[in-house]
Amino acid sequence: MVRRRDLIKGSIDSLLLSLIGQQPMYGYQIIKEIEGRSQGYFQFKEGTLYPALHRLEGAGLVVGRWQVLSGGRRRRYYYITEKGHSILIEKTAQWQDFFAAMNMIIRPANA
Amino acid sequence: MISELNHYLGSIRDNMRLDSSSEKEMVDELETHVEDRFQEMREAGLSDDEAAEECIGLLGSARLVARQVYEAHSQGTWRQALLASMPHLFFALLFTLKWWWGMSWLPIMLGFICGIVFYGWFRGKPAWLFPWLGYSLLPVVVAGLFLLFLPKGWAWATILLYIPLVLWLLCYIVIKGIKRDWLYSALMLLPVPSIAGWFLAVEEGSGFSGFSIEHLYDFAPWIGLSFLVLAVAVATFIRLRQRWLKVMVLGTSGLITLGMVIFASSRLGLFAFIGLVLLMISFLLVPALLERRLKHGGQQAVA
Repeated sequence: MVRRRDLIKGSIDSLLLSLIGQQPMYGYQIIKEIEGRSQGYFQFKEGTLYPALHRLEGAGLVVGRWQVLSGGRRRRYYYITEKGHSILIEKTAQWQDFFAAMNMIIRPANA
Repeated sequence: MISELNHYLGSIRDNMRLDSSSEKEMVDELETHVEDRFQEMREAGLSDDEAAEECIGLLGSARLVARQVYEAHSQGTWRQALLASMPHLFFALLFTLKWWWGMSWLPIMLGFICGIVFYGWFRGKPAWLFPWLGYSLLPVVVAGLFLLFLPKGWAWATILLYIPLVLWLLCYIVIKGIKRDWLYSALMLLPVPSIAGWFLAVEEGSGFSGFSIEHLYDFAPWIGLSFLVLAVAVATFIRLRQRWLKVMVLGTSGLITLGMVIFASSRLGLFAFIGLVLLMISFLLVPALLERRLKHGGQQAVA
């Protein structure tokens, strides 16, 4: 049986690109958004978020920039790049096709 | 920040093996995350110790995080892979195209190698530097070989002084590499066992005087091919993400090149092969053990 953790692992890039594509975000903010919007469904070890973000950055899909906040604290905000935006569109289309196909099988009446 | 969290972040830093600027960025980023989470826990009514424990639990194993960070940064580009494999490719061409026949290539190539090494050394010691670094020690080896031609008595006296100096230089460079990652030192030492093997094959058991250009000529295509294998191995090493695969590539390429030495030589047999394989394994393991010792020593000093 496919575990929830494996499902998250397979979709982490799409999740991150989708969130960062909506607005620039920093790591902790991304965790809170994912938890909040998925109503706790997507939970993963927070430390593993940063390797995923750096992998996306290495692939040129996002870019990280430090910003100094009032009080002198620094946060690294991630911005989506042109390449990242194109990949996001592609991945979103793939997900929509996948869900539509799944729905046609699971709930034939709604399809 | 309390000591448990500092220790946790320190453990990630020690295991992710990044260059100093990337390491600082990564630790700073994790630190801001930990501070945010810790603050949230404290506001929720947890004590400092409870909040720290909860933070660490949510972040996950330090080793896992460090490994994933390493894998996110460890894959070089194709350009870097080509750059890293270039010194081996040069030597492959040197033998297959018989450039070694004249000696004019030697100063040109050594000058080029030293130039690249200086460039990489002062630009954060990237992974592609280490194969070049190994070849930059070639003048030291060549100078040592020339010492054998000194008059009797002088040769041994000079070599007795020369060998400790060379070992000191080698240790210095290996330790510098290990501070970044022991695998880079192993990458630097990769051609040494096969060069030693070819030297044994060419000199044909008659001492250094038996080393002749004619013998070298017979082995040139095989020597070229063995350097080509090393070039492919180094390029693959740079492109891989996982550490265990990188170790496998280094080990396999070593076995293949040593197998080629034995196959091409009519004189060297199983014992020579075993000896060379042990030399290769020691060049893989000694940097790993040294790194472990250096880190352990460093942690004890901090404690």
